[in-house]
Formats: sequence, C-alpha cells, structure tokens
Amino acid sequence: MRARRQYGRPHSIALCAVACLLGWCGAARAEDASSWKDIETKYIFGFTTGSGIGLEGEKEFTVDSIGRFGKRDGHYAATETKYEFEFTPSQFIQIEFGALGSAHHIGGVTDLDDRRQVAVSGAFAELRYLAIERTSSNPLAVTLAVEPTVRLIDETSGARVRNYEFETTVNADIELLKNRLFAGFNLLYEPEVTWTALGDTQREAKFGGSAALSLRIASNIVVGGEVWYLRHYDSAALTAFTGDAVMLGPTLYIQFTPKMFMTAAWNTQVWGREIGNPVSLNLAEFQRNRAKLKFAVEF
Amino acid sequence: MLIMMRKLTLAAVCAIAMLPVSPSQAQQASEVQVTYSNGQFQPSEVRAPADKPITVRVKNLDAKAMEFESKSLRVEKVVAANSEGVINVRALKPGRYEFYDDFNEKARGALIVQ
Repeated sequence: MRARRQYGRPHSIALCAVACLLGWCGAARAEDASSWKDIETKYIFGFTTGSGIGLEGEKEFTVDSIGRFGKRDGHYAATETKYEFEFTPSQFIQIEFGALGSAHHIGGVTDLDDRRQVAVSGAFAELRYLAIERTSSNPLAVTLAVEPTVRLIDETSGARVRNYEFETTVNADIELLKNRLFAGFNLLYEPEVTWTALGDTQREAKFGGSAALSLRIASNIVVGGEVWYLRHYDSAALTAFTGDAVMLGPTLYIQFTPKMFMTAAWNTQVWGREIGNPVSLNLAEFQRNRAKLKFAVEF
Repeated sequence: MLIMMRKLTLAAVCAIAMLPVSPSQAQQASEVQVTYSNGQFQPSEVRAPADKPITVRVKNLDAKAMEFESKSLRVEKVVAANSEGVINVRALKPGRYEFYDDFNEKARGALIVQ
C-alpha cells in the first residue's frame, strides 16, 4: 500500500560507491585471485540477487532485514525482517521459507498515521530454479525465482491489512574476471493485492530491473555498487502507471568463516517522478533511502 | 486477484515440478574415485566424460572428518574419518570444476570434464 503525494526537496548521493570500487580495483590486483575458492554469487550484489542456489544438501538460516527511510515530510522509518530457512534439495532447485517481522516508526508524514510498533507481520516462501549454469566456458548463469508472501501488517504504513504479493524475478550474473569481478542483473515483476481494515481493496504492482557490479577485493570480501529502476502501477496488469524511481548505492559482502557471512547494501533514490505531481523524486510509492543487512549461517 | 495469485502460485509450483531437477537419474553414471589422505586429494585432478552423470567416490583415509565441497559442482558432503562418501553429480559440460575440503584450505583438486 503506498502513501499519497507528499512534498519536499530532492536528495541525491551515492556515486562515491563507484569511485570506491575503482580505487579498490588497483589494490585488489595485487592479490592472486586464481588461488581463491569459487564464490557463491547469490548475495554479493546487495538488493540485486545473484544466480546462486547453494550446494545440494546445504541448509542455511538467515536473518535478512530491509529498512526504508524518508518520505516527503515528517519522520519515516520502517523495517521488515525475514527469519528464513533455506535449503537446496537438488543441484538445480533452492527452497526458502520463513516468517516476517516488521517495525514502524512514523511521525508527521502526510497520508500516513503516526505509529510506533513492532509486530510479527507475515510469512513467505521462495522457489528458485537454476535455468542456465555457469561453466568454465560460459560465464553467464540465470536463475528464475517466485516468492509468494502473505502480510497482516502493511509494509509501508504499518496498518493492519491482508496483503498477498507474488514476486517473480529473473536473477542473472556474469563472471567478468575469473574469481574477481562479477556483474549482476535482476528483472522484477511484483503484483500484490491489499484489503484494508476499512474494507477497501487496493491492487498494485512493481516492475523494474537492476544492474550491479561487484569486485572481490580479498578472498572473503566483495564490494560493489548497484542501480535499480522501479516502476509502480495501480493495477497488477501494469496498465495504470503512477510513477517510477532510480535507486543507487554501494554493496558489501563479507565471509567471516566458510559457513558464516553477511551482506549489506544502501540505496538512495537519485531520480524519481510521480505522475500528476510535479515534484522531484517519487516518495509516494518509494522511499528516500533503503538499507539491507543480512546474516547467514550454513549448516 | 487472490484467485489469480493462487493460480500463479500453483502454475509456478507445477512448472518447477516438471523441470529437470535430477537428470543424473536418467542415464548410467560414470564413476571417478578420489582418495583423501594427509590433508590432500590423490590424485588432485580426475577426469570424466562430458554430458554424462558422474558419481564421485571420496575415500577419506585420515583420522578426522573432511567436507568435500565444490561451488561449481554445487555439492557438499561430510565424509567421516576412515570412511567413504558417494556424491552424485549431474551431467556436466566440458570444463574444469574445482573441489576442496571445506575444513582444510590447502586441500584442493579438480574434476576435468572432456
């Protein structure tokens, strides 16, 4: 469910990620990447998901938090955390499922009620299928994923709702330099329907894509940057376009031990528009900033 | 909309159920054997034919467990001390697929598929 039109001035940062990446390139060349183990690409691109599906027989527990910050006015902070179990039953399929928790801290935002709350907000499951696998002669890998989600707390407003979402993504990545430099691409289609406590029904969809570049600067550290272009519609069939936005920011992946890692990302909206509202940035359907922090333990 | 989402979920589950999740069951597998002793794979390179499922037998002669793992083969298996592990791998395209002991950084090997 989206917030209505709000006002304020645009905000844009985050090109420093590209500069950092270029700076690290030189330093990273000094280390010999040929002696490094292959890396799982699923989590090295931030919000962009890589093609990796894990290893057959592998199980993983993950805590994955996404925070959204900043609307046109007032104070806005919302997080959604996935408590997730994932496993790989075959060399082509990965399955994930878990519970969602959310937190909202909203004050003085136009069209949103003030709220301070923490709640168990829903559940989700995800199926991933590796359609094209990387080999030593083919650097491209592609995975198809579907993720149905049920929410009892609205992601944006924190209000009690019934929300059904069906995220469909194509996750692709290319190994540009062996063990060293990777590019990731996502294509996203995310229709959803929400029933509010007042009995209203809202249908909407997000459509978009991303591109990311990640450099492995040490055997256990990957840094990079990503850009997302997202469009919002007030219909599942992508017929009622309401606005779009470009998000940009840095990414980080650290492997602490062979069985434990974290990934972090920060995206800032650098461009956006709301149809019928001549303001810069789209803060009705999207946020000013978003952050991702994920910890995982394999067993 | 809810009905549409249920149909989409059902369609996705059905589509994935029909995908080739385990092609290795369709053909006779070729077998390769690797021994693990003194923290090293012997031989460090093994060969197998392309486009045919492969069974990798890992014989751990050491007095402690090892974990045979490979990101490119997409398999991992803990092999207890003084025992044998069997890993079934899908039919592979020609190429070099590295494997290692996840408990021992220095133990590396490769499966060469031709």
